[in-house]
Amino acid sequence: MSRLHKIISELEEISTHPGRAVRKQMEKTGKKAVGCFPYYTPEEIIYAAGMLPVGMWGGQSEIKQADTYLQSFCCSIMRENLEQGMSGVYDMLSAVIIPTYCDTLKCVCENWKVAVPQIKTIPMVYPQNRATSAGVAYMTDEYRRVIKELEAMTGAEITETELLKSIALYEGYRRTIRKFVAISGHYPKTLNARVRHAVIKAGFFCDKKNYSTMIGELLSELKKVPSEKSEGIRVVLTGILAEPDALLDLFDENGVTIVADDLAQESRQFRTSVDMGENALEMLAYRYAIQECSLLYDEAKRRGTLLKDLVKDNRADGVVIVMMKFCDPEEFDYPIYKKELEEEGIPMLYLEIEQKMDSVEQLRTRIQAFTEMVMHKSLFYNGKENDDVHGY
Amino acid sequence: MYMGIDIGSSSSKAVILDKTRRILASAVVNTGTGTQGPEKVVETALALAGLFPEDILYRVATGYGRMLYGKADRQITEISCHARGAAYLVPEAGTIIDIGGQDAKIIRVDRDGRVENFVMNDKCAAGTGRFIEVMARILDCPIDQLAELSTRATEEIAISSTCTVFAESEVISQLASGAKRENVAKGAHHSIAMRVAGLGGRIGIRPIVVMTGGVALNLEIVRALESEIGYRIVVAENPQATGALGAALYAAECNL
Repeated sequence: MSRLHKIISELEEISTHPGRAVRKQMEKTGKKAVGCFPYYTPEEIIYAAGMLPVGMWGGQSEIKQADTYLQSFCCSIMRENLEQGMSGVYDMLSAVIIPTYCDTLKCVCENWKVAVPQIKTIPMVYPQNRATSAGVAYMTDEYRRVIKELEAMTGAEITETELLKSIALYEGYRRTIRKFVAISGHYPKTLNARVRHAVIKAGFFCDKKNYSTMIGELLSELKKVPSEKSEGIRVVLTGILAEPDALLDLFDENGVTIVADDLAQESRQFRTSVDMGENALEMLAYRYAIQECSLLYDEAKRRGTLLKDLVKDNRADGVVIVMMKFCDPEEFDYPIYKKELEEEGIPMLYLEIEQKMDSVEQLRTRIQAFTEMVMHKSLFYNGKENDDVHGY
Repeated sequence: MYMGIDIGSSSSKAVILDKTRRILASAVVNTGTGTQGPEKVVETALALAGLFPEDILYRVATGYGRMLYGKADRQITEISCHARGAAYLVPEAGTIIDIGGQDAKIIRVDRDGRVENFVMNDKCAAGTGRFIEVMARILDCPIDQLAELSTRATEEIAISSTCTVFAESEVISQLASGAKRENVAKGAHHSIAMRVAGLGGRIGIRPIVVMTGGVALNLEIVRALESEIGYRIVVAENPQATGALGAALYAAECNL
């Protein structure tokens, strides 16, 4: 196995077995681990406290106990997180930080205290108006409260120097993974939809220092091999996340290359850099103030513009909306950007997903029909000649 | 000769075209994917055309069972195939409504018959052939006589549940409280029309509207749908076989 494929399979292993990966890192580093609920938690602070931030992004297990707290019409990520918390999957965590971005999260914050009492809850409330001085002041106060809770756990002070070091490390991680995202569309076979997702997701379960090194090495290995030709259509993904793997396999089966994403679990995590602030906490608050996501109040309603730019900059053929079932913030955004993309004549495919899906047959038909629609000219008029070109 | 095979959830269809794209045979068997239906329909179509399997130069499979059927040269979705078939029959078609046994699709096509946009119903069976099957069963009426039953209605009993299972209980309680079967039948037809029209609202309907799929055989649904969407509907000739026809047309093109 080449070095390139070895790194990829290591990252895939981490991404598919997060519990194992986290425990291994804890043993290796002697660090305690703190869980981070979606969507944005101050990982830099946890890291500066000498602990390991761990992303909590649901899973595919069967819901048995979480029904007590969250009905079947709640988002599947939150139901999974609670289920796994209740069944002890997260028992290696010393605490979880639960932010309050949506209505379900607000409930989960309270549910967790009762349902998973063995793991300490650290709630975080975010300001609606982020880019005002009051918003930044509120945010830094909230960070200070979290710092106090973490300090009580470790018994050590989180210094400004440690915070600045941690921010620098995270900025480095963001730059590296952005490079990976930018280059992944050039390797539609090696970095197909499933691999691309696994590589990015692995970051949630690694010490970001090691992870950045791994991605850096992956990038330099990629440079040694020639880029690959995509045979089908090029798309931008938008939504909370693109799972399960069976869905990603459908993209691969139909020759769909993901050339960019606007997913909360992927690019929205790392596309924004720190660009101002007098001290570490202000830097974090200002970065948060300019982040763009359906979960964060955006008066300017910029998502349509952002998607149009992603399509244009990456020469994409269309946008695939992976709509997390029962996600109000994502659904609220949809009619607004749908209209804007329609006006531009950008083809769109709307897929409603849940983290665990028993059958993906309907999705298969939709994805295949979308590729046929986008490539119809060749299918319709030229028959065989273009078939071969596009690998139908 | 070219063959299109449409393997749906509740029926299998096959169409054979000659080299000039004239329809030689068209067959429908009322069992779908996972049964002997696909084999049977291919045999029937070949027999009708007086051909042998080796006379077929290219086969395209479509429909829900397209990936399972091992004997096709290529698989194309029913979205593209219904559009292709309908545009062949009605060249001026702007929108195609295909209601099958398990799903409903609205496909907008451009002037050249290319798919511009499409929308499919979500997982549930509301607004599909399955809904009619369930209604026919509780109204104790053969499915092909349901439209006729509805024409004898004196008033319409509205069915407010979208979900097929809930609608079933709702209708049972309506019947239990003395509602007439024909009035309930009328409500059932209207319910499907509303569901499908709502789906159409998502992508916009442009005339001429062509209806394909097995449910188009029920003229009461066609009528109810016309009044919901505000356009006349042209029912494709042999609507069940439109997808197979489109697949056969693709087969002819693929083999060029």
